Amino acid sequence: MTFSDVLLQQVINGVSLGAMYALLALGFTMVYGIIELINFTHFSVFMVGSFIAMAVLLAVGLSGQSVILTGLPLVAVLLLALVVTMLATGTLGVVIERTALRPLRNVPGTAAMITTIGLAYILTNLVLLLVGAQQENYPNPLPNLTWHLGGATVHLREVLVWVVAAVLMLGLQLFVHHTKLGKAMQATAQDAEAARMMGVDVDRVVLTAFFLGSALAGAAGLIFGLYYNVVDFQIGYTAGLRAFTAAVLGGIGNIPGAMLGGLLIGLIESVGGQLIAVRWTDVIIFSILVLVLVFRPTGLLGRSLAQRS
Amino acid sequence: MDMDATTNPAAGLLAALAAPLKRVPPKVRGRAAVAAFAAFALLLPVIDGNAGDLDAAANATAFAALALGLNIVVGLAGLLDLGYAAFFAIGAYTYGIFASWQLEPAWSSFWQPFAWLGLVERFHVDGVPDVAHLTVSFWIMLPLSGLIAAFFGILFGAPTLRLKGDYLAIVTLGFGEIVPVVVRNTPSLTNGAMGLNGVQAPSLFGYNFGVTSTPYYYVGVALVALFIFVSLRLTTSRIGRAWMAIREDQIAAAAMGVNRVRLKLLAFAVGAGFAGMIGTFYVAKLQTATPDMFMFPVSAMILVMVVFGGMGSPYGVVAGALILQILQSWVLQDVSGWLHDLGELLDNDWLQTIDLTQAIELIFGIVLVLTMLYRRQGLIPARRATRALSLAEQTANVERGGIRRQLRVLAREAAETPGPLLEIRGLVKRYGGIIAVKEVDLKIAAGTIVALIGPNGSGKTTMFNVITGLDPATGGKILLQGRDVTGLPPHELARLGIARTFQNLRLFNNMTVLENVLVGMHSRTTTGALGAVLRPPSVAVEEREARERAIEVLSVFGNRLLPRLDQTVSELSYANRRRVEIARALASQPKILLLDEPAAGMNPGETLELAEQIRSLKDMGLTVFLIEHKLNVVNDLADRIVVLDHGEKIAEGTPAEVHADPQVLEAYLGRKAVAHA
Repeated sequence: MTFSDVLLQQVINGVSLGAMYALLALGFTMVYGIIELINFTHFSVFMVGSFIAMAVLLAVGLSGQSVILTGLPLVAVLLLALVVTMLATGTLGVVIERTALRPLRNVPGTAAMITTIGLAYILTNLVLLLVGAQQENYPNPLPNLTWHLGGATVHLREVLVWVVAAVLMLGLQLFVHHTKLGKAMQATAQDAEAARMMGVDVDRVVLTAFFLGSALAGAAGLIFGLYYNVVDFQIGYTAGLRAFTAAVLGGIGNIPGAMLGGLLIGLIESVGGQLIAVRWTDVIIFSILVLVLVFRPTGLLGRSLAQRS
Repeated sequence: MDMDATTNPAAGLLAALAAPLKRVPPKVRGRAAVAAFAAFALLLPVIDGNAGDLDAAANATAFAALALGLNIVVGLAGLLDLGYAAFFAIGAYTYGIFASWQLEPAWSSFWQPFAWLGLVERFHVDGVPDVAHLTVSFWIMLPLSGLIAAFFGILFGAPTLRLKGDYLAIVTLGFGEIVPVVVRNTPSLTNGAMGLNGVQAPSLFGYNFGVTSTPYYYVGVALVALFIFVSLRLTTSRIGRAWMAIREDQIAAAAMGVNRVRLKLLAFAVGAGFAGMIGTFYVAKLQTATPDMFMFPVSAMILVMVVFGGMGSPYGVVAGALILQILQSWVLQDVSGWLHDLGELLDNDWLQTIDLTQAIELIFGIVLVLTMLYRRQGLIPARRATRALSLAEQTANVERGGIRRQLRVLAREAAETPGPLLEIRGLVKRYGGIIAVKEVDLKIAAGTIVALIGPNGSGKTTMFNVITGLDPATGGKILLQGRDVTGLPPHELARLGIARTFQNLRLFNNMTVLENVLVGMHSRTTTGALGAVLRPPSVAVEEREARERAIEVLSVFGNRLLPRLDQTVSELSYANRRRVEIARALASQPKILLLDEPAAGMNPGETLELAEQIRSLKDMGLTVFLIEHKLNVVNDLADRIVVLDHGEKIAEGTPAEVHADPQVLEAYLGRKAVAHA
């Protein structure tokens, strides 16, 4: 492989990672856009989603990489896992908002954010107690199909990541721009008070944001499992922080920004890791986070809701 | 409570036992509790000889001390730091590197002076060149690593402290991630993921601490005691009050003369310094350090301790830290053991293998969420409820006829200034495409009251914000006593003598009346962090004088505020809160006082009382610039009235002149109404 092939391969990997981070970043960005809350629970909802999807895949008879499906059965199994997981994590997000976060919505300061840290701990450690600390071999029915792109290889799993992410993001865009509830979401993000006065049910909008964000996190959880083939109770932390960085980089509160930021962070992780060293990846990503927040807190695509001190 | 006592026998018994305690004043009760606890802490190694218990206790002191450090940052200054363990790591590695075999520079004459000082040893093995073994004393490194960590606190803080709360949390989380990664990736200095080994144990007067827990335990207790002392001293000082003011309302703090950036950095540095010292202590005790010891879970655990114990409350966070450590080190193990026994008895495999210590983080999470939902002030709140006022104290003696005594805070030269005290030339303020203030010229003579009136949205408050430096001017000049002060930061303007109140009240809600007024004196007092902790006579005198002046200022409002000195302002009535805000502004010894609708929300009697007080302030030499909608107040008080409409000055003159001005009538009533009049 020549250097340019390696680079191309890393771009392919980066786009796949980026698609996953983008799905995860959308949840951060929607919730932040509406109630200005950094939701650390999102990290663990993603991880829980990965385990729920695993349970579904195991339930339909898969185990590790030993059962390979093709054609319609493959599509059906993946769709089933995706839908069940998204409904389950979406519901989890709604439950979290209703029980623990709504009572704190009008409390000034960082109380709600601290609560989300506590909730993240609870979810993560419940999973730890239930399934243990070991890495789980993820049930993966994908056949080992590959295509060649120059000197680089594209696997079926990467195509799957791209397709799922693209469809979900397109769906989200359609929802936000073409439904009444989606428009109410945009209105609330711009000015919650004015939206309320215009008859928007802000509670319902917030719940919708939590449901959609958490459902997308669940989808990202499934993708993570299929992409890496192993999961454990800690996957939420690293992936979550990177996704959060993606949301900030794109402009937190900005939906297209989260998609762009996710893609960039994925590319930085894979290409940057290749060019510098993998062990410095975290330092690079967090340095970007710090630099963006300090010098351009509105992110690349900006945000009507700039920092208010 | 009474209902419980009659319906629940256990609660009744408890109440009966507690009854004699209730008669002891809370202050005495508190001191007795602290003394009893201190005695227990000192005697613990005698009471409990178990080495494992003492080791856990020594670790608990480290975490209690860390919680005290984070409490300065989060509890007092209100800066949510999610990467606090980074400073713990920096302190740990500072000592670890200077007191281990990690660096083995080749011996040369360069090292000889250090060897004489006992900082290095020449190490000789036959056949290889001699090396220098770093052996810097623990007692030197303890303060030094505090200083180094504090330096990093400033380094990390400087670019980030301007960010608002939740962004700051994320940036600190990022730093918290970066530091262990850097440690892991620089093995030449830190031995990477393997960690430092063979860190030298401290010794004192020839006694080597070795690996027994008792001496470490006592060092830990001493550090906790020191940090409690420092925290308490800071809390009740100029510095601590400024921190709390920033926590409560940054903008009001700045307008009262608090340099936000500098004080936030100070809080970060002090918190980091505590963590650095504890890092050294912890590594000396363990004699090893690995990057994994300083990851996010550690930062989160310390945060749980602070939140659970009570943000801003030194005793609270120590209690929180100890309870969670006891839970972790003893209770969960013991309960697991009991469950194993029970499982054996019942022949139940699941009970026999259960390990509750694994659930510690789950418990931390539950504690955090429950505290936030049901007891946000924590276990031992920083603020206790104040006693109820007696009927006499509650009855306001309405003081008519203004203020009788000359206020010392106003005894200044301001009134004698030749020329205008405040002059505004061509002031422009633009927000995007909207021009909020358009080319306004204005002169305010010393010792006069000038009122700024105009319809809603005419730019009055914007003008105040620009004059006080909260909003930068787009164009034009502001001169105070002939000196150009355009573009100065708000705390600087407060120091120069511009004080203000806010239309929508910006008090420090969780601080007492007295503390609020004392924050107003920030720029007239000088105590620094070190002075606050050591409290030399000069600081004690300054503090006493500041209190006297604060009380003098509060006496402006008769007995309305004096009986309420120690109440938090959130407990006050609306009118009293307005009065506190005026008192706070007066305490800054202003040359000019900007009042933004001071009589809003006051009834006619209270309004009249206030108007007389404002007039007295003018008679004492204070210049007043006033926004007010109650035109009777304006007509009565103002020497001159300035009318603003759509950001433009449309009229200026004496009250009589302004009332006759057709443009003013039009702005207020509309064109048609004027035609009919």
